[in-house]
Amino acid sequence: MNFLNYIIRRLLLLIVVLIGVTVVIFILMALFSPAQRASAFITDIKQFGDIDSIIRTYGLDKPVYIQYFNWLKQIFQGNFGWSTTVSRPVIDAFKFFFPNTLELALFSAPIIILVGIWIGSLSAVHRDKPVDHFTRVLAIVGWSLPTFWFGLILLMIFYGYFQGLFPPEALGYKAHTFVNSAEFVRYTRINSIDALLNGELWIFVDAIRHLVLPVITLTVVQIALVMRIMRSSMLEAMGKGYVLTARAKGAAWKTVIKKHARRNALIPVVTVSGWLFALMMAGVVITETIFNRKGLGWWWARAATQLDIPSVLMAVLFNGILFVVTNLIVDILYAYIDPRVRLG
Amino acid sequence: MGELILDISELKTNFYTYEGVVKAIDEISFSLEKGDTLGIVGETGCGKSVTVLSLLQLILPPGKIESGRIVYKANGKRINLLEQSEPFMRNVRGNEISMIFQEASSALNPVLNINTQVSESFLLHRQKELCESVLENLSERVDKSKRFSRLFLRCLNYRYKKKLRKAENNLLKHGHYGRLIKKDAKRLTIDLLASLGIPNPSEVIKRYPHELSGGMQQRVVISMALACNPNILIADEPTSNLDVTIQAQILDLIEKLKGEYKTSILFITHDLGVIAEIASKVIVLYAGALVEFAPVRELFKNPLHPYTKALLNSVPKLERRERLESIRGNVPNLVDPPAGCRFHPRCPGVMDICRSSKPEQIINRTHGGQVHSVACFLYRNTKAWYEN
Repeated sequence: MNFLNYIIRRLLLLIVVLIGVTVVIFILMALFSPAQRASAFITDIKQFGDIDSIIRTYGLDKPVYIQYFNWLKQIFQGNFGWSTTVSRPVIDAFKFFFPNTLELALFSAPIIILVGIWIGSLSAVHRDKPVDHFTRVLAIVGWSLPTFWFGLILLMIFYGYFQGLFPPEALGYKAHTFVNSAEFVRYTRINSIDALLNGELWIFVDAIRHLVLPVITLTVVQIALVMRIMRSSMLEAMGKGYVLTARAKGAAWKTVIKKHARRNALIPVVTVSGWLFALMMAGVVITETIFNRKGLGWWWARAATQLDIPSVLMAVLFNGILFVVTNLIVDILYAYIDPRVRLG
Repeated sequence: MGELILDISELKTNFYTYEGVVKAIDEISFSLEKGDTLGIVGETGCGKSVTVLSLLQLILPPGKIESGRIVYKANGKRINLLEQSEPFMRNVRGNEISMIFQEASSALNPVLNINTQVSESFLLHRQKELCESVLENLSERVDKSKRFSRLFLRCLNYRYKKKLRKAENNLLKHGHYGRLIKKDAKRLTIDLLASLGIPNPSEVIKRYPHELSGGMQQRVVISMALACNPNILIADEPTSNLDVTIQAQILDLIEKLKGEYKTSILFITHDLGVIAEIASKVIVLYAGALVEFAPVRELFKNPLHPYTKALLNSVPKLERRERLESIRGNVPNLVDPPAGCRFHPRCPGVMDICRSSKPEQIINRTHGGQVHSVACFLYRNTKAWYEN
């Protein structure tokens, strides 16, 4: 009951935080003059003369609180304005780009988290043995690799010498045409999952082949981080009194590690994992740009350089909500792992 | 003199740290009689805990047990624990020799509930008995019903035996069986906690360590050690973090359990008052070396080693109003302990020989015929024994 109570309390708190997020974003927006904000609605240079009428139509000269509620209303209606970078409404662009990023994150995050935890605890258990030295060197190498450089090297190898093995973009030409045809039902808009749902195995394979390089680029760097945190927290847990108690009870070393040490060691890793996932969802600009995967990072990087304010605002709002929700999930996982948190 | 249950001779443990080799305990010999309570006294860092951890072979690298013999006698057999394999030791730990740790709050795992932690002992060492009792319960239930259930039982019995033969430790993982065994272990846990005077044990086992008070936590730690009714109980400062009333309760509890279970106890503490209360014999450690062994009353009445004397003098007494004495100098660094007697730099009666050679244990008997030994050159001439 304690646990359920905790979750309900956190959900109620979530609403408050989300309102706070919209207020902050609106204040950021209100710093612009009405004319500047009206220009966000202009899609063609010929419309510049209409700025006054736009201000009047959208009520940009009204008191701030009325504007805030109007803005909220528009958001709930899905009206985020026009994205000049991709020449379509922001909400449509989001619906188009979001699944690609989500796909990348869904494939990378489990690999990063599971492999990181596994290697980290392996390295801690075999402390100062060859396995430990080897993984630590790998971690340092992985962590100090710049993403753009590593991505470019992969690109050079696989596009140069093994052409067509792991191609760029999100789907090949044939698969892309088929996916957008009427035969293919887009349940989730995530290519690989839709392919499985439609029973089209070749599209699934195609999607995976397009995922391999970006996933490698993302994971190699971030596994290093998770691994190092797991290693240090595991070492800390292994030195604790309860591990000695468990050993004095006669439990095997393996049981002690799995049952007593690892669960305690996971607590800091959960925080970092949630944070990594949120960062990945918020747009992996470099990876998506290098491999020409049209995802959120790809879009927002262009929007930011071309002063596409509605797109950038959408990015800010999305990131705000994303981090709040991820934090909530992390907190719930926390409470699941550590009963001491449930009290607070 | 009673039967010896534990005989430790020349036990030596080193820690290989970056600063050098820490000679944590240096050839300590002592023995424990069956049903007796032996106190181990000494300052922090004198090797009390290392001694008992070496005994159970719980020393982890960089620590290493260098040499010695730990003869454990039970069921008519004499076993040198240092020669045994790790699986054998796992069966000894918690089952025949178990340990209570100093800080209950850190000795309990914060993320597991009390039931999981206490019943773990049963699940590790009483698995066969648990399986049998579960099977018995099942057969009782089946006997009353139809013939077809008897067939079911026979199948179950067959499966059970096969699994027992296959792997004793894996039986728990077999779904239905595992659940029944765990349920049985839970029942045992509730009984155990009730026998330790924990109110409302069936509620307490659902809680987590942080939801219990310090005294309760200590009781839970004790219950984990007593779960399998050990022959030897090692108590490593079990009362050091508790306030005095709780301390008295815990000591009473240990005393009571000793009478009930006929357990031999090794009681480690730096608190001389507690030792006087609970132990019948005492060994005094200084900087990893054993300096004196005596029956408890003899030690307080007639301490021989200069260190023991100094230690007893540094305890405040109500009838003595003068300034409390302290031992001059500092505890030596065990990476490079003093040659000869390890106490000689601080000893008021130091002689030349103390600086060069290591004193042997000099054994004598008190008027009551009990053994009293001391490692000090002052007593080479045993006539000097009672003249001090």
